[in-house]
Amino acid sequence: MNTIGGFRSYCESRGRMSGVATPTAVRSADRTLFPNNCCCRCRLKIEPTNTVREKERERKEGTRFLSAIHLPTPSSMAIKPETRLCAVTFFAKLHPGDVCGSNGLPLTPNSIAILGRAQRLKEVQDEHLCQYLDVIRGKHERTIVVSEYVGCSLEEHVKRNPPLSLAQILRIFYQVACGINVLSQHYLVAHNLEPKNILIGPDGRLKLFNYGLYFMTKGGAYVPFPVGNIRYMAPERLLGLNGNVKSDVWALAMLLVELVLDLQLWPKLKISNVVRKILAFARSNNVLEKIAREHQCFEAYQTMDAELRQLLEKCLHASPGQRPLPRELLAHKCFADILQADREQEREKAKEDESKQQLKSHLPPLPLLLRCPLSQIYHLWQLAGGDVQAELKKEGLIRSEAPILGLPQIVRLNGASVCPTRSQSHLMDDRVVPLKMHALLQRLSQLPASVYFPLLHSPRFSSQHQRFVLELQLLPLVIRERDIEYQFHRVRLFARLLQAYPYTAELLQREAAIDIPPLLRGAVWAALLEVVPNSGYGKIDKFTPTYTDRQIEVDIPRCHQYDELLSSPDGHRKLRRLLKAWVTAHPQYVYWQGLDSLTAPFLYLNFNNEGFSLTELAFLSLFRFIPKYLHWFFLKDNSAIIKEYLSKFSQLTSYHEPLLAQHLSSISFIPELFAIPWFLTMFSHVFPLHKILHLWDKLMLGDSSYPLFIGIAILRQLRSTLLDSGFNECILLFSDLPDIVMEACVIESQKMYEATPKSITHRQHALRSQPPQSLDIGLTDVELKHLQLEQCPRISAKDVQYLLLHSPSDLALIDLRSVVDYGHVHVPHSINIPFATVQLGEQRLEALNVPQLEAQLRGRIVVCVSNIHQNAVEFSNFLVACGVQRTCILHKGFNVLHSIEPNILISN
Amino acid sequence: MATTPRSGGAGSGTAQRPNGTSQNKSCQFKLVLLGESAVGKSSLVLRFVKGQFHEYQESTIGAAFLTQTICIEDTVVKFEIWDTAGQERYHSLAPMYYRGAQAAIVVYDIQNQDSFQRAKTWVKELHKQASPNIVIALAGNKADLSNIRVVEFDEAKQYAEENALLFMETSAKTGMNVNDIFLAIAKKLPKNDGANNQGSSIRPNGNETNRPTNNCCK
Repeated sequence: MNTIGGFRSYCESRGRMSGVATPTAVRSADRTLFPNNCCCRCRLKIEPTNTVREKERERKEGTRFLSAIHLPTPSSMAIKPETRLCAVTFFAKLHPGDVCGSNGLPLTPNSIAILGRAQRLKEVQDEHLCQYLDVIRGKHERTIVVSEYVGCSLEEHVKRNPPLSLAQILRIFYQVACGINVLSQHYLVAHNLEPKNILIGPDGRLKLFNYGLYFMTKGGAYVPFPVGNIRYMAPERLLGLNGNVKSDVWALAMLLVELVLDLQLWPKLKISNVVRKILAFARSNNVLEKIAREHQCFEAYQTMDAELRQLLEKCLHASPGQRPLPRELLAHKCFADILQADREQEREKAKEDESKQQLKSHLPPLPLLLRCPLSQIYHLWQLAGGDVQAELKKEGLIRSEAPILGLPQIVRLNGASVCPTRSQSHLMDDRVVPLKMHALLQRLSQLPASVYFPLLHSPRFSSQHQRFVLELQLLPLVIRERDIEYQFHRVRLFARLLQAYPYTAELLQREAAIDIPPLLRGAVWAALLEVVPNSGYGKIDKFTPTYTDRQIEVDIPRCHQYDELLSSPDGHRKLRRLLKAWVTAHPQYVYWQGLDSLTAPFLYLNFNNEGFSLTELAFLSLFRFIPKYLHWFFLKDNSAIIKEYLSKFSQLTSYHEPLLAQHLSSISFIPELFAIPWFLTMFSHVFPLHKILHLWDKLMLGDSSYPLFIGIAILRQLRSTLLDSGFNECILLFSDLPDIVMEACVIESQKMYEATPKSITHRQHALRSQPPQSLDIGLTDVELKHLQLEQCPRISAKDVQYLLLHSPSDLALIDLRSVVDYGHVHVPHSINIPFATVQLGEQRLEALNVPQLEAQLRGRIVVCVSNIHQNAVEFSNFLVACGVQRTCILHKGFNVLHSIEPNILISN
Repeated sequence: MATTPRSGGAGSGTAQRPNGTSQNKSCQFKLVLLGESAVGKSSLVLRFVKGQFHEYQESTIGAAFLTQTICIEDTVVKFEIWDTAGQERYHSLAPMYYRGAQAAIVVYDIQNQDSFQRAKTWVKELHKQASPNIVIALAGNKADLSNIRVVEFDEAKQYAEENALLFMETSAKTGMNVNDIFLAIAKKLPKNDGANNQGSSIRPNGNETNRPTNNCCK
């Protein structure tokens, strides 16, 4: 809460006064009365919620009203119209060194806590609020907030256009009230309203700026300075009652008083005296009159518009309960006239031809880029080389100091150290730094409109740029992800595709197969998983204590904690809610350790407020992901499922990497020892987040068998090491998984996935979309014991038929029946090796005495066919031992081929 | 390969460097860590093997394997350590790791009474199902947080004596007693016969895993 030091630094930073202590009354009241100033709860009690219809009506009226406003735009406006982004910076409060929480873990840095909380603000979008775009952590708890910026601040605006007319003042009043109202609908309060936090755009539209500071710093708890300008602070806030929207109403009224009476509040008073003045208002019946008298404007007070005066007096009531709510303000009759006037103006304007308007307008046409969502603009700005910290350095807001100056002068035996105070750390500099967009605009200005607004179903319009995109697609993914022009293409395209989802599902799938733009990954994944938001998440019980709570509680602080978002208190809270919700929504399943890691990527990508759709996106993505890839893995007794999965993994390893599989099985290096965390968490427990994202980009496009190929691709990448190692070395290698080149792994797994017939990956426990047909492998045909006995997977007759018809050159069929049987009937081009005649003792293909057998098998899918299943099994094992790749067994043996229609057999 | 564990914390004085001569006997032992989740099993192993401590040590799924070699008197002792997952649900995998193990460390968290009860259950299960000569040590971990302890030292000590367990309170964070507990185990293990030498039973016994009875033992 407010401390002396805080106030002092606050004052110093503003360069107005120094050495002023907070009145003791304020501090003691702070501590005793309101130890926890949870803004949301306080306000929830005070303010009745609107009905939906009311809200809608208000929003509509607000919109209409606003579009009609046109405040004069001075030609001398300093900030260019294209300035849309800005940054502000401050320091979060430092924890005293080396302190641990009650659980023995170090305390989360306050800057991380701020980062987590601020995510929610990104979702608050309204025409009266500057959009929040990013929060960045610098060194030493520095926090940088990037947000939208328009025009100039009210402070400057007033300086340039004195004095404002009553109508202009009323418009300002109305729009700020609109902003506060929207905030309160999101259960937020600004608590730092002052003229420089109100921006007026070139079109006269007004937006609140920096309104999230109070929320993101948890009511100022995470920062060493108080939030809000003391001059506009309501008396109850000085006494420690925070979080009430009525305090914002007070602040709004105070800044209007300045405008209406054309004065500056207490320009020469010390902060302590200002505090005293404001506290004295608590005993006053008419604050407005008192202010007017104190500032020698009593006359102006008396001649003021009576309705406005009444309204201001009401807003400046000492008791918050007597002040109007923002929505009551908006309905006040003193706005009726200007609202009416604006509506008429709007109607007239609507009558005029649009082209005429264009001519009339003094403003140059907006660059196309500025019609894109700000989040995209900011993302592109970063790709174009934009660096927020560098911009702040240029403005002198971040100054680097010689580290030696920060060394402690004294270190006490208890570990406490006395350091020279860093020159900036205690000072708040609330300057706003615009982020220059010039380079970005220029970079993208040459692109035709068809790239800004791609036409999905008319490919001929964009052929030229299509070529550019196709050329870039040959480059590695990491390069593509950093190429601004390429990302611009992709982001615009995917944004369109997502807007039209689910009708564009097929197109989306096709484009996602090329790559997924990082900016939109969360939404694209959700679309690939066929998520359709249904607001079901909000209805799931995430609160009732359950048996799994303890486990979830101990797992969350260990889950991907190197990531700032996931290690923030908000990250923990959201992950807990997601996990609890998932468990509640699946009474048939239980929480297995690992589910936390599995959930983390979805939360990371869709990190957002519960009330809105995005966390729901995280939940629904998980909800769809698990049955698709991990069907029944989270049963209380999942051993049958896991065993089947791992056996299939062994088989597929034999299929693609026969020699490696041989070696691993010879040293008893079984998948049970290393691959459970791989598959149970889809690799999210073994890789850091940035690798998981690229891995899952491809995983999402495959079916439930895809993860198995990722596993093989990992083995393949470590192949030479594994082949040279014994059991201990192998298991040690996997306990501390070495750096896997993810792109190679992804490409390799994709190749294998595409080259493997579907039936080879058949698992009894996989989720099936269609029932199996007669030539498929039946649901219960292959049991676990078969899988464990057979080194090679089985292939269905259907897949063999397909291969025979469509790509016979990929197939080598080894017929193990006798020469006589083969003579009766056989598959064309099949190789007859009668099982009865072969000696399998020697593990060499040459021992079979079949001319050029190796050449005939190389690069093909080798299907062993017999009517005696055991023969096929033994022979296939022999081939694996000889290192023959892609060996499999025809399920149900030769006789099943008779039932294929049209006939594929040759009979004599 | 033969190194003493880095002295990350207090009391590793008993460890000696191998003197490099061939007269050293060498043995290897399979050791398994068991205990409730988040009591610090992985942290103990990490401290012992690498001398490190991670505040946010990830949870273990399935099991992890590490080795460490120490020298005690004139014998080089190689520990092959299986660090198991703590969650009750992974119980069915545990026999695969403790069967054939010559030593086990059962870990609990001195701040958590439940974890102590769970440790007792593990001890019971080991007595019943593990090899009869297994050396069991009980470790009360997170001793650096002893100001908020729930499980009293004497209570645990008494339990350990009744069940013939080695007992120490350890702290993976500060390194307290971590090397000592491994050394104490090494001293107690028989080093004369060839039965436990050179990789006889290091591998988890795959054939016997997950017998149906194991899935429901609570």
